Amino acid sequence: MANYLAQFQTVKNSCDRVVAAVEDVSDLWPTVKGLFEEHQPLKRALLTNNRTRNPVLVHNLPVEFILTTDARLRSRSPQEQFLFWFREPYATLLLVTCEDLDEFKNILKPRLKLIVQNDEREWFIVFVSKAHPSNDQATKSFKKVYAKLEVDFSSKKRERCCKLDIHGPNANFWEDLELKITECIRNTLDRRVLFYEDEIRKLTEQRFMPIWNFCNFFILKESLAFIFEMAHLHEDALREYDELELCYLETVNMPGKQREFGGFDSEDDKATLLKPGSKPLTQIVQDDSFREFDFRQYLFACQSRLLFKLNRPSEVSSRGYSFVISFAKALTLHESVLPFCLREVWVINACLALLDATSSHNHDGVVAPDIEKEFYRLQGDLYSLARVKFMRLGYLIGYGTDIEKSPLNSACLSMLPWPKPAVWPSLPPDASSEVLEKEKTILQATSRTKHFGIQRKPLPLEPSVLLRVANRRRASLSTGNIPEIFDGRPGFTEGSGLEASPRAPPMSRTNSSPGNFESPLDRPMRLAEIFVAAEHALRLTISDHDLLKALSSTQDFEHKYLNLTKGAAENYHRSWWKRHGVVLDGEIAAVCFKHGKYDLAANSYEKVCALYAGERWQDLLAEVLPNLAECQKNLNDHAGYMSSCVRLLSLDKGLFSPKERQAFQIEVVNLAHSEMENPVPLDVSSLITFSGSTGPPLQLCDGDPGTLPVTVWSGFPDDITLDSLSLTLVATNNTDEGGQALKSSAATVLKPGRNTITFALPPQKPGSYVLGVVTGQIGRLRFRSHSFSKGRPADTDDFMSYEKPTRPILKVSKPRALVDLASAVSSALLINEAQWIGIIVHPINYSLKGAILHIDTGPGLKIEDSYGIEMERYVETDCDAGTSKAEVSVEDSPVSPKQDSEVLNLCDGKIVFSEWASNVSSIMWVPVRALSEKLARGSSSVTPLKQDILEGMRTVALKLEFGVHHNQIFERTVAAHFTDPFDVTTRVVNKCNDGTMVMQVMLHSLVKANLIVLDAWLDLQEGFVHGKRDGRPTSTFFPLVVSPGSRAAVVFSISLDKTMSSGKDLQLPESILNIKYEINGDRTAGAHKPVDADHSGSDSERRALVFKSAIVLQRPVLDPCLTVGFLPLPSDGLRVGKLITMQWRVERLKELKGSEAVEHDEVLYEVNANSENWMIAGRKRGHVSLSEEKGSRVVISILCVPLVAGYVRPPQLSLPNVEEENVRSNPPGPHLVCVLPPLLSSSYCVPVK
Amino acid sequence: MANTACFIIVGRNDIPIYEAEVGSAPKREDAAQLHQFILHAALDVVQDLAWTTSAMFLKSVDRFNDLVVSVYVTAGHILFNGIKSFFQEVHELYIKVLLNPLYLPGSRITSSHFDTKVRALARKYL
Repeated sequence: MANYLAQFQTVKNSCDRVVAAVEDVSDLWPTVKGLFEEHQPLKRALLTNNRTRNPVLVHNLPVEFILTTDARLRSRSPQEQFLFWFREPYATLLLVTCEDLDEFKNILKPRLKLIVQNDEREWFIVFVSKAHPSNDQATKSFKKVYAKLEVDFSSKKRERCCKLDIHGPNANFWEDLELKITECIRNTLDRRVLFYEDEIRKLTEQRFMPIWNFCNFFILKESLAFIFEMAHLHEDALREYDELELCYLETVNMPGKQREFGGFDSEDDKATLLKPGSKPLTQIVQDDSFREFDFRQYLFACQSRLLFKLNRPSEVSSRGYSFVISFAKALTLHESVLPFCLREVWVINACLALLDATSSHNHDGVVAPDIEKEFYRLQGDLYSLARVKFMRLGYLIGYGTDIEKSPLNSACLSMLPWPKPAVWPSLPPDASSEVLEKEKTILQATSRTKHFGIQRKPLPLEPSVLLRVANRRRASLSTGNIPEIFDGRPGFTEGSGLEASPRAPPMSRTNSSPGNFESPLDRPMRLAEIFVAAEHALRLTISDHDLLKALSSTQDFEHKYLNLTKGAAENYHRSWWKRHGVVLDGEIAAVCFKHGKYDLAANSYEKVCALYAGERWQDLLAEVLPNLAECQKNLNDHAGYMSSCVRLLSLDKGLFSPKERQAFQIEVVNLAHSEMENPVPLDVSSLITFSGSTGPPLQLCDGDPGTLPVTVWSGFPDDITLDSLSLTLVATNNTDEGGQALKSSAATVLKPGRNTITFALPPQKPGSYVLGVVTGQIGRLRFRSHSFSKGRPADTDDFMSYEKPTRPILKVSKPRALVDLASAVSSALLINEAQWIGIIVHPINYSLKGAILHIDTGPGLKIEDSYGIEMERYVETDCDAGTSKAEVSVEDSPVSPKQDSEVLNLCDGKIVFSEWASNVSSIMWVPVRALSEKLARGSSSVTPLKQDILEGMRTVALKLEFGVHHNQIFERTVAAHFTDPFDVTTRVVNKCNDGTMVMQVMLHSLVKANLIVLDAWLDLQEGFVHGKRDGRPTSTFFPLVVSPGSRAAVVFSISLDKTMSSGKDLQLPESILNIKYEINGDRTAGAHKPVDADHSGSDSERRALVFKSAIVLQRPVLDPCLTVGFLPLPSDGLRVGKLITMQWRVERLKELKGSEAVEHDEVLYEVNANSENWMIAGRKRGHVSLSEEKGSRVVISILCVPLVAGYVRPPQLSLPNVEEENVRSNPPGPHLVCVLPPLLSSSYCVPVK
Repeated sequence: MANTACFIIVGRNDIPIYEAEVGSAPKREDAAQLHQFILHAALDVVQDLAWTTSAMFLKSVDRFNDLVVSVYVTAGHILFNGIKSFFQEVHELYIKVLLNPLYLPGSRITSSHFDTKVRALARKYL
């Protein structure tokens, strides 16, 4: 049967569609052929899936109509028909027409019966009506014949007839025809499939018998697959091919049957895994089977063709990828016999072919997103696979220096074994010039020194040293002196050669001495020779021009390498495999970098760095980041470059040597101080972190400045000088207001690790504050750091530190009283004497260290500068002082006893507090003198004293500056009350017959001190003389002690001066009472001994004080001329608001003599009234006529309205023109009248329940 | 090939929180970095797989020449890259670390005790 293979192939290739035979009974085919072919292919054909028996709807199934008389159908022998059954017609159309019923009965019907009688064919009759619609007669007869035909040939089970009207509308016919053909095809298909499956089953059972022939099995199986394919049942076809593949793989590797693998043909390196027809099967047949190399590719090609037809390019990719992998393994097994590097070349070609085919078949967006994602991922995988193999080839021919020694390339290549040909290709005889050239390139190639002087052992790109592998493979045939040459160790295994230096350059040099150049076979090959040999061998292996070109020069190699890398990266990105994609971007960047396209390189490197940095794979980041930095440096991207340096510094310390880290720092510092145009902002959060000092937050009072220690961790390897450093504080209660910046003074040097920096803190608003951000400047670099460290080194911090709630570092309390100033004494002091005024300074939990008190006395008060100001500790216990309001904090720091009082000097009105007074309440005694020009006036029962409180009031304005920077100010005005020691009241207590009057002088002590009256005397005014002696009271009563608040009285006897002296000028206008006294009081209580008295030695004379008070003595009315009488008021009393008439009666007691009165018959009167109490209507002052005669009288009436209720003084009538001693009044002195409140107005009254 | 293994615990945000090179192979300087690279790239595969299966142990998610990447995904999506019973024991250890109130989930595991235990387990199972 294998002999039919060639024929099978031809047959298969020649037919590609389902065939329907046309039995043209009535010679109609030429007429209707056009119509039939117009209605091709079948729009909808319902076929059956053969395994599951599910109906499958096939669209656009092409059908070829062939006349049964056609040579193609006629010439076949029955055996051929059986073998290639798939090409036999699936349906037979009997094309008939007949107009005459008799003709039908006699001729057509028997003929048709004959045709359908012995045939297993699926058939049906197409009756063609040639009648024109207008011709009713003909139409009728055709109808009759067709009806007869249906009766004869259709059964209940199956309709086998359909009618075509050539001239009429045939919409239904074509549908009918399609159904009928489909039915036939379906039945035929089922029958044939069953037959083939039966045959296949039989063959499968014999599979392990020696006579078994895979080729036969293959023909059957492929025939079946082909039947399905023709019927557009691609799924079924695919399954057949899958089964075929399985069966092949099972049998091909059967032990005992060693077959040729294949792969030696000239174009075998071109992967044909997508071209089923690339090689005729007859060429690859071997014994009873096929060569694996070609046949597996053939099978995969068939499968992928079906998959593309099924529109599943992603499945082609996924199957393709695994096929390439498994096929590459198969190639590895046969590597020793295959051409050099066929495996690598084949894989590259296969991947590229797959990529090409699948991407052209793939249409974005038509499949589900996850399938699409998977598709792109596979594309990426294919690209990377091709890329790796391509790099391997490149390395073998000496392009290794152009391959970036990145982790990706190293991982790909260093773990990928070398090709293992039986013999390593040897140097062609005429290649010495090429060798020299390669040698030159090797020597010229200098590994690029990394930026910052980073010393790293380059990552390997080879699994073991190529020089050894190549020579060993070679040496296996030659004399075998290699082991001695290399290391003297026989039998070293692959993979352990890594400890040797990668290329053994000294070795090459010694070997390249001209001496032993001529016998290349006897000595080990040099690297350049290996490269050249490999290149020659590859040229033999590779038949693909593109690939050959790609390997022909460095530029072409790089171009292809870049294409593959880009393809892989792009597809990985599309498949959301960002890590793969970004890493490949990094490889592209490396190439760009090499060619000085720094902007492109920087872009890609940034992506890579962002990926590694985001996921904190620091080891990997450390590999890439220096490259990015170098790009940025070359691009003059200062900000980026510095940022990269800072990132490098923030990586784990172990990743770079201290020297390298120092290099980073130097770069940053140099750049920062270089001529950059603009200041560069930079975030150094990862490098410089900060935290507040441990312990409770700093507490400050409102308005106080302070100093804030902050711990700053520097990740720089060396000391770094910061031109400035500032810190913002953020109020926790007020987020919208930006933090306030604190500046550290001048330049700061940060040591590596922990630094404590003290910031001066200006007064802050009340609230609590947390650390905000640290900013600073190094040259023109402005850096910021946001990260708070927990008091650990910066580089071990983790991402959680950003989320950590921050502890308040500073609390500024709300404004409160910090100090209180108060007057120590509330009672009156002596006026006009130097007195101590006490001021209590009471700090309220606040230090008054260095405080300054400004004292400014108000008018009428002056400080006695000549005496120091006494300051002493104030203890509340002296309660008799009555100043209990002062509170002393007992817990205050104890003060040494000797240090709690001192004498301070006032300078420029200021006093500076001493240390001891910082935290304790103190009292300050200031010597002052209240000045008053006024002479004290005594009062009598006639002229009562009007007490004026304000008269003795003096103020002292105090201003206390305190706090660290005297920023706190407290101002208060303290009032002090000054007074005379006594209030003097006089009264005539008795009038003796001899004209002597006894005058009592009452002394009312006004001070809280004992007053000791030592002496008292009167200087009398005109008209009075002392009664006896010198006018002093009996001296034995002195000293008279007057207790605080008590009264004492002194009695004087005086008499009227009968002999009115003419020298009036010498006389006093009023009498003066002199009291010589001493005062015995405590300054903490009130009035006390004057300051100067204390200091004036022991002279008792000078200690005595003299108090003078004026006393008005009124001469009695001696010569009454007129009398004024206040007439009684009405009995219903006075009421506020009620008019009343006040009346006085003036009566002349005797005739006026003398010349002084000019108008004798008139008297001038004047009514005085307190305007607050009275409203007076009428003339207050005027003349009334009063005759000069004795006894004449007149009544003066004034209309008044009382304004206030109570006892008030009524208006008084005085006669200004008449001497006081000539007027007698009744009542004689001031008196009071009662004024009732106004009557309630009823209209305002509210009844009360 | 001598037995070598790189074991990395990867935190939820794909951040490595613990690394250890275990195994008996002679130390290769560059191996650590390559292993890291391979494991990092394998995260692409893991992120696809982790949500499609409920199994904790994903055997051989990725192959890289001779290196096989196996992954053990905990309920909290912490990945253990490296063999099943070994994984399970280390998972227990990890939970113990996690229970430590001073350990901040997601930060690096710096406990030397943990390190010693992991290396002991590696000797036992790998």
